[in-house]
Amino acid sequence: MALRLLSSRRRLGSIVLSYRSPLASLHSHATSFGFQQVKEEEKSKLVSNVFTNVASSYDIMNDVMSAGLHRLWKERLVGKLSPFAGMKHLDVAGGTGDVAFRIFDAVNSVKRRALRKVDEASIEETQIYVCDINPNMLNVGKQRAAERGLSDNRSLVWVEGDAEALSFDDDSMDGYTIAFGIRNVTHIEKALAEAYRVLKRGGRFLCLELSHVDIPVFKELYDLYSFQVIPNLGELIAGDRDSYQYLVESVRRFPPQERFAKMIGDAGFEKVEYENLVGGVVAIHSAIKL
Amino acid sequence: MYRTAARRLLGAGFTTSRLLRLPKPRPTTTIIPYSYCTSSMESPIGNQSVNPNQSDPTAAREEGHRRDESRKPRAEFQEEQARVLAASLRHVPRLGWTEEAMIAGSREVGVSPSIVGSFSRKEAALVEYFMDECLQLLIDRVDSGLDLQNLIPSERVSKLVRIRLEMQIPYMSKWPQALSIQAHPVNVPTSFKQRAMLVDEIWHTVGDGASDLDWYVKRTVLGGVYSATEIYMLTDDSPEYRDTWAFLDDRVKDAFDLKKSIQEAKYFAQDIGAGVGKSFQGLMNGVMQTMSTRGGRSSAF
Repeated sequence: MALRLLSSRRRLGSIVLSYRSPLASLHSHATSFGFQQVKEEEKSKLVSNVFTNVASSYDIMNDVMSAGLHRLWKERLVGKLSPFAGMKHLDVAGGTGDVAFRIFDAVNSVKRRALRKVDEASIEETQIYVCDINPNMLNVGKQRAAERGLSDNRSLVWVEGDAEALSFDDDSMDGYTIAFGIRNVTHIEKALAEAYRVLKRGGRFLCLELSHVDIPVFKELYDLYSFQVIPNLGELIAGDRDSYQYLVESVRRFPPQERFAKMIGDAGFEKVEYENLVGGVVAIHSAIKL
Repeated sequence: MYRTAARRLLGAGFTTSRLLRLPKPRPTTTIIPYSYCTSSMESPIGNQSVNPNQSDPTAAREEGHRRDESRKPRAEFQEEQARVLAASLRHVPRLGWTEEAMIAGSREVGVSPSIVGSFSRKEAALVEYFMDECLQLLIDRVDSGLDLQNLIPSERVSKLVRIRLEMQIPYMSKWPQALSIQAHPVNVPTSFKQRAMLVDEIWHTVGDGASDLDWYVKRTVLGGVYSATEIYMLTDDSPEYRDTWAFLDDRVKDAFDLKKSIQEAKYFAQDIGAGVGKSFQGLMNGVMQTMSTRGGRSSAF
């Protein structure tokens, strides 16, 4: 299977691998773009291209690829976060707003307000920032907000920004979530360090990401599904096979659960835990800043 | 012993999913599983994707810090959680055993209310913390010289249960909520364990020397007495809960009488058993003799 993929990669040949000159190897570090090695400066541009291409069909493809399960995973993520009225929350790489809308609903739901003694003032104070590096994704998100009648709502704020260099103040956020975004970041440690920086003391970091499966037979089935079915679905529905090939490969390149958890701990977080969903296809890592 | 047990109990609630223990430093090895790279690709380039040098100096410093004191961070967050819970208790009479009380408590300590989301079974964590604290207070009271010498065992038990229940008086208006939280199936194992520890501690202090079945019977009976009194207290309006203490004394006396009656019943059963046994033995001997004289064969018995 590796050889077949190698040959298919060569045919595309659009990515430059310039390791011939030793000078280039001294100055430019390499990182992974799917199974390719590319220069760092290029990765963010390549990722941006991928998401520009997929933005319009992102939500549909999510539903098709995960058979609708991604909704449950996001519900679980928001449940773990346990949002409260008056919280300042940052959702990074949350372009189309899935997680942000769920948090908004959780805080503002009528049932919640009826059951608990919440004063209106703190609901007003709730701020949910949605940050994404790609303006196209943010536009899709803003459109969805408009469809729900929330375009004028002051609680949802759409910000364009880079996970590795956030424009928010230190100690300003109660919660930080990143759903299916951190594997696209060039330097994961930087993103984690930024997360640590913007969170208040006691703030929570939650990361929902596709992860590694270890269960014997299931692993093979999952690999088969990923490499055979998904790029074809991408071609069929979104008209873009390469982007989905990249997506599937980037999942394999991402560190496994334990190692990622260690990276989170190294960034300074406490109580680092992770929960596997669907046998490890998806993992939710959570941590607290103290 | 109970202190560590209490800590363990509190700790057990927080480790439902896998908790990372920061390990000894491992060398960061590079794995390039698929060698797509052309032959000029050297491993140092692959190395850099995992190289910590790229991260901020602060992160590196903290990494070094972590390696030296890998136990310390975990203890800190548990202390922090305990502090938040302690502050939350002050808000319980007003807000109940709820997330709101915990949010208010966390604000008091100066920590973001998000931390409440990290408690497993949130309100239950608060109630369990309170139960552990009360047990600890009881042990401290006993250790610091409570006078039990001049009292008979039933009066000692009464006194200890009374001391323990008096700790709940400030929260009495919201105690039914705490009881209902403790009764949730998810929370029952922990609340059962805590009550068992409490009852065990009381009997131990009274000077219990029981063993075998008696040990279980005593704990069960006292558990029943304690729960009954607790519930009676919920609807007691008398000044300083006088009616509750009278109820408690009566129940404890009944329990001790019950103990006597059980003991008497045991002796009675033994006597009867002995009598029946003797007559049974006599019967068997008779049968054996008859068989041996008749058959002339040696008895298999």
